Amino acid sequence: MKKYMGNKLAIILFILPALAIFITFDFIPIIQVFAYSFTDWNGLTMPNFTGLKNYIELFTDRVFYTSNKNQLIFAIVITVYQMFFATVFAITISDKKMKGRKFLRVAYFIPVILSVTVVCQLWSAILSGEGLLNKLFEAAGSGFSQNWLGDRYKAIYVIAFVNAWQWMGYQFALIVAGIKSIPADYYEAAKIDGCSNVLAHLKITIPLLAETYKFCLIISLTGGIKAFTEMNILTGGGPNKSTFTLTYMMYNAAFKKSDYGYGLAAASIMVIECMLVMLVINFIFREKNQKKEEEKSRRRRNA
Amino acid sequence: MKKRILSTLMCATVALTSLIGCGSTEAQTTTDTPAATEAPAASETKTEEKAADTTADASGDKVTLSIYTQYADDDTKVPYDYAVEQLKEAYPNVELNLIVQAQDDGQTLKTLAATGQLPDIYQASTDLINTFRESNQIMVLNDVAKSTGFLDKLYDANKDLAYAEDGNIYAFPFSGQEYVLWYYNKALFEENGLAVPETYDDLLNCIEVFKSKGITPLALFGQEGWNTAAAYDVVATRYAAGGIKALDEGTAKVTDEGYVKAAKKLEELVAAGLFQEDATTTNYDQASEKFLSGEAAMFINGQWYIEDATKALGENVDWMFYPAEDAASYEAGKAAFSGGGSASGFAVNPDSANAELAAEVAEFITEKYCEAKVMYRHNPLVALNTGKEPDSEYPAMMKKLSDTLPSVTSTTKFTWGLTNSTFNDGIQSESQGLVSGQFTADEFIEDMNDIME
Repeated sequence: MKKYMGNKLAIILFILPALAIFITFDFIPIIQVFAYSFTDWNGLTMPNFTGLKNYIELFTDRVFYTSNKNQLIFAIVITVYQMFFATVFAITISDKKMKGRKFLRVAYFIPVILSVTVVCQLWSAILSGEGLLNKLFEAAGSGFSQNWLGDRYKAIYVIAFVNAWQWMGYQFALIVAGIKSIPADYYEAAKIDGCSNVLAHLKITIPLLAETYKFCLIISLTGGIKAFTEMNILTGGGPNKSTFTLTYMMYNAAFKKSDYGYGLAAASIMVIECMLVMLVINFIFREKNQKKEEEKSRRRRNA
Repeated sequence: MKKRILSTLMCATVALTSLIGCGSTEAQTTTDTPAATEAPAASETKTEEKAADTTADASGDKVTLSIYTQYADDDTKVPYDYAVEQLKEAYPNVELNLIVQAQDDGQTLKTLAATGQLPDIYQASTDLINTFRESNQIMVLNDVAKSTGFLDKLYDANKDLAYAEDGNIYAFPFSGQEYVLWYYNKALFEENGLAVPETYDDLLNCIEVFKSKGITPLALFGQEGWNTAAAYDVVATRYAAGGIKALDEGTAKVTDEGYVKAAKKLEELVAAGLFQEDATTTNYDQASEKFLSGEAAMFINGQWYIEDATKALGENVDWMFYPAEDAASYEAGKAAFSGGGSASGFAVNPDSANAELAAEVAEFITEKYCEAKVMYRHNPLVALNTGKEPDSEYPAMMKKLSDTLPSVTSTTKFTWGLTNSTFNDGIQSESQGLVSGQFTADEFIEDMNDIME
C-alpha cells in the first residue's frame, strides 16, 4: 500500500478524472454564481455589473428573512425527526430476536424510493382542507381541523414533516449499516458486565456511530437549507411567500422576474450557509475525535 | 518496479480514454452550437442545414416544425387539433411536433432559449416577449403580418394587442379582449332565497346564508396567482377603474384611496368567509369541481369558462356584474371590467432553420385557433374576424356578455398581460396573502408599496 501511496504520478492520474469533473461541473458553476450575483442579468443577454446592488436589495427584502427562518425550521425539524426515528428503528431491527425485522427494514425504506412528486401528492391529499386528516378529526367529532398547508406560520412545519417522513429511511439505512459494522464482542462484554440493552446502545452503538451521524447531520442540515421541491409542490411557496426558502427565492427571481442576478445573490448566500454548516459540523466532530485520541494516549502512558 | 510501471500505464489509459471521450463530445458540440469563437464554422453548418431543409421543402418532402403551446383542456385542445387538421390541407408538407406547454412561469422556454434550443413556434406571454426581445430570440413578424393579411383580419379593438411597446409585431395573438367574470349558481341562489348581490352588504348576507348551509360562497383557485390577483382586481375596479393595469403602468399608486379601500373591503369579505379556508392551496380543478358540483355558489374565472360551465350546469349558471359599495356605484361600475387583452400569442424562433415558413405557419395556426374558438368553443372574443359562425347557438352567458360589451368603458389586464414583472410577481403573491385571511390589508398596502418603490 505504501508503495502505491508513494507513487505521486499514480495518485495524480487517479484523482485527475474526478477532479476535472468536479472543477467543470461544480467549482466553475459556483464561481459563476458568485460572479453573476454582482450583475443585472436576465439570463439571456450580456450581464451588467451592478456591484453590491443585488445584495443590498436582498438584505432589505422581507422574504429573505422569512426564507432563512424557514430553512432553519426545516433543517431542525428534519434533523431531529430523521436522526431520532432512524436511530430508534435501526436499533430495534438490529435485534436478531425481533420478529418481522426484514419486513420493517424494507417498509422504512420504501418512501425513499418513491418520487418526491408522488409523496407530495399523497400528503397533499391527506393534508388539504377537505383531506383525510381533517375528515378523520371530523369523524372523531373533534373541531381540530386545520388549514395545514395554507397557514402562514404552521405550513413550514408540515412541509418539513413530509420531507422528514420521506427521507428518514435513507438515514435509517446508513445507521443500520453502521450498526452492522460494530463487532458483537462489544455487546457480549457489556452484557457480562451486567449492562442493560438500552445502556449498551447508549454507551457502545451511538458513540461508535459518530462518523455515520456526522454524515447524517450534514445531509439533513444542508438538505434543509436547500429545500425547494416540497414547498413548490405543496404550497407553491405560499401563502404570500411564507414558505419560501433561498432556493425558492432564486427560482422566483430567475423565472418569474427574469432577474437572474438577484436570484444568484440569494443562491450565493445559500452556498455560503451550506459551507458554514459543514465547517461547523466538521469542527464539532473533529474536536471529539481529538479528545478521544488524547484520552487514548493518556491511557497508554498510564499503562 | 514492474508493478509501478503497470499502475502508471493503467492510470494513463484511464485518463486518456476519459479525455478522448470528452474531446469527441466537445467536437460534436461545436458543430451544433454557434459559439462566438467559431462563428463562421457554425454558421456554415447552419446554412448548410437550412439549405438542405429548403431543398426538402421545395422538393415536397416533409418539414417538421416544433411548436410549444398549451394542450391541457378542451379550450386548448380543440383549437390545436382543428389547426393541425387544417394545416394538413393548406401545408401538406408541414408536420407539427407538439411540445405541451408546462405551467412553469416560462421556465422551460427560458431554459430552452438560454441553451439555444427554442422551438420553431412558441406561445409567448408579454413577459417572455419582452425578455426575448432583448436577446433577439423572437422574430419580428411585421412583414409576415402584412403579407398574410393578418393585420386586415384583426378586429379594430384588438389592433393594439398585436404591437409591442417598440411598435413591432412579435407574436400573433389569437385571444381578443378577455374578461374576468363572476359566475354564480342560479339554482343555489334561488333555493336559498337570495337575490344576486349588487352591493357588498348583499354579498355579506349571501356569505352568511351559504356558510350556514355548508356551501362555500365562492370557490377560488388561489394556488394560481392570477386568480387571487383577479379577485383583488374585481374589487379594486369598483373604486378605481384602472385596477391593477394602472398600478402596472405606474399611473396609480397602491396607496391611493381606491386601492386601499379595495384591500380593506377584500379583507372584510375574506374575514366573513367569502372564500374556502384552503383557497391558497386549491388548484383550478378542485375549485371548478366545487362550483360545478354545487358545493360552491360562486366562481371567478375568465369568459373562456362559459362553455364548460354551461355544459355542466346548463341554465343554472350565469355571471353577475361585480358587486360594489352601494347601488349607485354598482350601476356606475357595470361598464368597468376586470381583464383585458394581451400581446400573448404565437411567436417564432428567428434562429429556426425554417424561420420564414414557421412564421407563415404561426399566422395560419393563429387564424385557425380563432376559427375553432368561434365555431366549437362558442367564444366570439377572438383577435381576428374569421367570418365563421358557431356550430350551435351561443350560450346564454355569452349572449349576455356580447350585449354588454358595447357599453364597456374600461378594462384592466390579466396577470399575463402585465408588463412590469416585479409588479406582476408582487401582486400575485400579495393578493394571495390577502385572500388567505392571514395577511392584513395594511400589510398588503405596505408590501406592495415597497415592491413598487
